[in-house]
Amino acid sequence: MAGGPPKALPSTGPHSLRDMPHPLAGSSSEEAVGGDSTPSPDLLMARSFGDKDLILPNGGTPAGTSSPASSSSLLNRLQLDDDIDGETRDLFVVVDDPKKHVCTMETYITYRITTKSTRVEFDLPEYSVRRRYQDFDWLRSKLEESQPTHLIPPLPEKFVVKGVVDRFSEEFVETRRKALDKFLKRITDHPVLSFNEHFNIFLTAKDLNIYKKQGIALLTRMGESVKHVTGGYKLRTRPLEFAAIGDYLDTFALKLGTIDRIAQRIIKEEIEYLVELREYGPVYSTWSALEGELAEPLEGVSACIGNCSTALEELTDDMTEDFLPVLREYILYSDSMKSVLKKRDQVQAEYEAKLEAVALRKEDRPKVPADVEKCQDRMECFNADLKADMERWQNNKRQDFRQLLMGMADKNIQYYEKCLMAWESIIPLLQEKQEAK
Amino acid sequence: MEQATPDPERQLQPAPLEPLGRSDAGLGVTVDEEAERAREEGSGGDTMTHNNFWLKKIEISVSEAEKRTGRNAMNMQETYTAYLIETRSVEHTDGQSVLTDSLWRRYSEFELLRNYLLVYYPHIVVPPLPEKRAEFVWHKLSADNMDPDFVERRRIGLENFLLRIASHPILCRDKIFYLFLTQEGNWKETVNETGFQLKADSRLKALNATFRVKNPDKRFTDLKHYSDELQSVISHLLRVRARVADRLYGVYKVHGNYGRVFSEWSAIEKEMGDGLQSAGHHMDVYASSIDDILEDEEHYADQLKEYLFYAEALRAVCRKHELMQYDLEIAAQDLASKKQQCEELATGTVRTFSLKGMTTKLFGQETPEQREARIKVLEEQINEGEQQLKSKNLEGREFVKNAWADIERFKEQKNRDLKEALISYAVMQISMCKKGIQVWTNAKECFSKM
Repeated sequence: MAGGPPKALPSTGPHSLRDMPHPLAGSSSEEAVGGDSTPSPDLLMARSFGDKDLILPNGGTPAGTSSPASSSSLLNRLQLDDDIDGETRDLFVVVDDPKKHVCTMETYITYRITTKSTRVEFDLPEYSVRRRYQDFDWLRSKLEESQPTHLIPPLPEKFVVKGVVDRFSEEFVETRRKALDKFLKRITDHPVLSFNEHFNIFLTAKDLNIYKKQGIALLTRMGESVKHVTGGYKLRTRPLEFAAIGDYLDTFALKLGTIDRIAQRIIKEEIEYLVELREYGPVYSTWSALEGELAEPLEGVSACIGNCSTALEELTDDMTEDFLPVLREYILYSDSMKSVLKKRDQVQAEYEAKLEAVALRKEDRPKVPADVEKCQDRMECFNADLKADMERWQNNKRQDFRQLLMGMADKNIQYYEKCLMAWESIIPLLQEKQEAK
Repeated sequence: MEQATPDPERQLQPAPLEPLGRSDAGLGVTVDEEAERAREEGSGGDTMTHNNFWLKKIEISVSEAEKRTGRNAMNMQETYTAYLIETRSVEHTDGQSVLTDSLWRRYSEFELLRNYLLVYYPHIVVPPLPEKRAEFVWHKLSADNMDPDFVERRRIGLENFLLRIASHPILCRDKIFYLFLTQEGNWKETVNETGFQLKADSRLKALNATFRVKNPDKRFTDLKHYSDELQSVISHLLRVRARVADRLYGVYKVHGNYGRVFSEWSAIEKEMGDGLQSAGHHMDVYASSIDDILEDEEHYADQLKEYLFYAEALRAVCRKHELMQYDLEIAAQDLASKKQQCEELATGTVRTFSLKGMTTKLFGQETPEQREARIKVLEEQINEGEQQLKSKNLEGREFVKNAWADIERFKEQKNRDLKEALISYAVMQISMCKKGIQVWTNAKECFSKM
């Protein structure tokens, strides 16, 4: 790239990009010549099948000009969650348009990330980039590193172990897309994480690989300091409020696990029921062929059972695609939260140990040394961040589950409504008097 | 083969009992048009017989089942179920019913009655009995004959059997049937005294043995084919339905687990707790609703089963006709060969092989007197044979006429009954869907309050 790599700048708190030359700053000779790495997905766009969204070599494609993601449709597709803090939103992110890329070394999927924002941290009002799963993975680990006192949302699982799952099937890709979209939206909603510069780069950089390779250390001060907390300290007792959070998370994860198993079992039973139904319906048809007056009624019943079978299949597909993944996500979420709690414990342990060491020195004017003060600072920040995040998480969880469970109820209602309609419609057929032969 | 027309000995003569329509347990029924006419025609004459039992309407019900122990033919102790049959006559004027007879019978006696009817009414599609052993069970149902649910369903099946006979225009007049309802002691002996077992054609037992009939009646061969197919398709249907019921049961019951886990989860939640808890309750309601739903479906299965067994009865009529036809052809063949033999003896030409012919060749000619004697015997036999063939032909035609009349009656009944069964099945499904919608709507409302 022209101009050399942007300098690594130490920074505190939400970081402004103003100090950095814009990665996409105007040189037309900026072509990502990937060398031996995987070429930027943005350029590969031109080579993938039937792709109309050609990304211009310089600058991100303003979302407004490329066809499917016009601004209005973008807004329509965004799920505008209840804004708990009452702030007006100034950042919108959408994940859509999965595309398959076939290269010599590998085949993978990329997703289009469209960002609209009025924030000063963004030079352009709109961005459109393409990212693959490993880019999301990179983002998440960077966030964990740089914001260790915060709860980072989970990613959908990298590999799906159960059964033979086609990584490129429509259902799998769609499920994953929804989860990735949710991931970015949770970050967007977070008052601290959304300003993280890794997040910004993720949303805006034309070629993410360059950043990855150069390992830009854009750590916050907190990140730096927590990174150096040694694991040698053991906490004696967790403060009550954090112990309560820990207990809650343990039970919560347990219950979710049970619900996951129950849901899977239900789907399994429903599929087996479906298999039998698919044999049951046609027998009425076979019978119908033997009969005279009963032929139509029997055929009607056969068709009816067929309709119910289709409705059942839709139900099981929906539950598999929409219900189970969200449950699993929350289990992952609570797991990562537990590890943040542990880190917090570490920080507190270090502080308490150092404090104790000072007390033992028995100076006449016990002056708290600077590094103990720093530890205290660290601990108090961590506690504050964690508590705030926990509250935010609880609210979101409540909404998410309300939506999830209402959705489950809805799908079941729709299933029964479809079946009801089918059976009600054949009653007149069954009651109809046959014309005289 | 037995006579096709109702034997006076077997029928209760003067006052025909009015056929009872198909009805629910113990309810009175409407009078059939045909019987109405018959009654009017026969009135004035001997409507009053020594037998006061026959009033205008009777009601039959199998009202109770009781476990009994007794000693069987080998003097071993056995447990069996006895069924109480109550017969009521309904006074036309005030509609009150009076209990006229009540006795206990066990399943084997019902079987005896049916076997008797099969022999004496070969042209009738005789109503079937409920199954002897539970078949087509889905796992929750017991295959044990002593299981109360099985006994209950059998009680209903036996009642249905009696009502079917009572509503049949010909069968309802049978004396043995009347005695079955009225004479507790000695009935078995009475039946056996009819000697029906001896009259039963043992060839009928070999269900699949083929008898090559040269001129089969297409209507009967088609009907036999139909009854085979019907049996096959209904068995298949019942088997799959049982598996469907099994799976459906599983789906509903697993939802019950949600009830428990939602309850446990609600304990750690502040705002979400109430919504979760009450939703869990609805999941429990959902899970337990399947028991009633599947019990109702068993009635549908029983209706199908009845026609599965009816198909067998239909097949039996075709089979009897086949045998009749076969006997007729054999008799005709026999007659033809005797005639030929006679002719040969008379003219002296030997065209056919006969043992006599061979021995004659070997041991010398027979005397003219001997030959005359033989011709005479043959002529007698031929005469007899011709008479027999004539009556067999007549019998055959009567059989076909009466059988076909009953088959038409049966077809109408079958179409009516099965249509009704399908309608009630659809109604059951509708009710199940509505319950499902209700429960999930309630659950959704609870979730919305989370």
